[in-house]
Amino acid sequence: MITRTLLAVTVISWMATPVLAHAFLNHAEPGAGATLAQAPQEIALSFTEKLEPTSSGMSISDAAGHDMEAAAPAISGNTVTVALKPLAAGTYRVSWHAVSLDSHRTEGSYSFSVVPPG
Amino acid sequence: MSNHFTRLAARMHVIPPLRRCAFLAAGLLCLPAAAQAHGILGDRFFPATIASDDPFAADELALPTITSFGHETDYEVEYSKSIFRGFALGIGAGYVDARPPGEQASTGWDNLEISPSLELFRDPGHEIILTGGLDWEIGGSGSQSVAGRSSTFTPTFKYVKGFGDLPDSMAYLKPIAVTGTVGYALSGRNGEANSIEWAGAIEYSFLYLQNNVKDQGFSNFTAHLTPIVEYNFSSPVSAGGGGTTGTINPGLIWSGQVEQFAVEAMIPVNRASGSGVGVIAQLHFYIDDMFPQSLGRPIFGGPR
Repeated sequence: MITRTLLAVTVISWMATPVLAHAFLNHAEPGAGATLAQAPQEIALSFTEKLEPTSSGMSISDAAGHDMEAAAPAISGNTVTVALKPLAAGTYRVSWHAVSLDSHRTEGSYSFSVVPPG
Repeated sequence: MSNHFTRLAARMHVIPPLRRCAFLAAGLLCLPAAAQAHGILGDRFFPATIASDDPFAADELALPTITSFGHETDYEVEYSKSIFRGFALGIGAGYVDARPPGEQASTGWDNLEISPSLELFRDPGHEIILTGGLDWEIGGSGSQSVAGRSSTFTPTFKYVKGFGDLPDSMAYLKPIAVTGTVGYALSGRNGEANSIEWAGAIEYSFLYLQNNVKDQGFSNFTAHLTPIVEYNFSSPVSAGGGGTTGTINPGLIWSGQVEQFAVEAMIPVNRASGSGVGVIAQLHFYIDDMFPQSLGRPIFGGPR
């Protein structure tokens, strides 16, 4: 029984190569919940899978809902970056959506704050 | 697999003999829905629960699920295939190795189980899914030594709710999610008790915490862990059917890109539920990610 199970698992794993999976957020800069003394000039997100450039993206908004992107997001491989307008002190919301090459979609959002010292 | 407790308890003779077959049949029907859980809903990823059903109708394979409780070990496989978006058909089978002390060992195949499941309501913004299903144990399809001869039907209702919509003042509660199922097991044999099968889970997503609430600096491995506590109960509804029995299962799930591994302890909630702590472990594959252009697609309609 166990031998059959292991054999089946091995066969399935082999058949699955190469794998195209959902793209999950792997790293964000600045990260979720960050409190920054200096306003960032860009947001950079990296994902666990390569992205479909035409269907993936990100937006940044301030507390009043104003868009804070200075340009359209740049998507390369598994990363998305976007340049920002000058950010004043306050809390900002990053909203992203990612479509991996197999067309599976994921999305997410998080906040960070800019709090100048003093 | 909400059947684990009822089946094991019956074989361990912690349930009175007249009710054993009813519990066995009722519990066996709840198996395949656990394979319908590769869930992404709104901002959240829900790992597949292993001791209770969750409401995602998806393409998945649980191979194997190994349960050791008392003097019995079970080896199970479950496969769920999406027929069209929001509707999946599950099939499950298992091999039983029971060796109670002082009694003859019982080994063989359990009855096959078929479980259609239909998503009735889906709200990604509030991370809610409601699903209706039917679990059908095909009586007589397994070995006579371990499987019942009568079929049992269990209409079920399943739900999931993530708490990402909580206010920011409760940010650290946002990674919490709950899943649950309630089913009414209709025994196919006269004189056997029907029962309410109720199970569920509460989980805390490190991935959601890391990516949506506060970057904790987790390693990639740690960020994909989900601490979870599942519960799994059976409550007879007929007079003389006995009291509620079940287990509470604290454990941990690690979810990768196309697979997940989970292990949980099985703690009986009362004396009638058994003695000693069992273990359940599962290797689980997300077929929709492994074969996105073929086996992982619904038979009718587009991809999920």
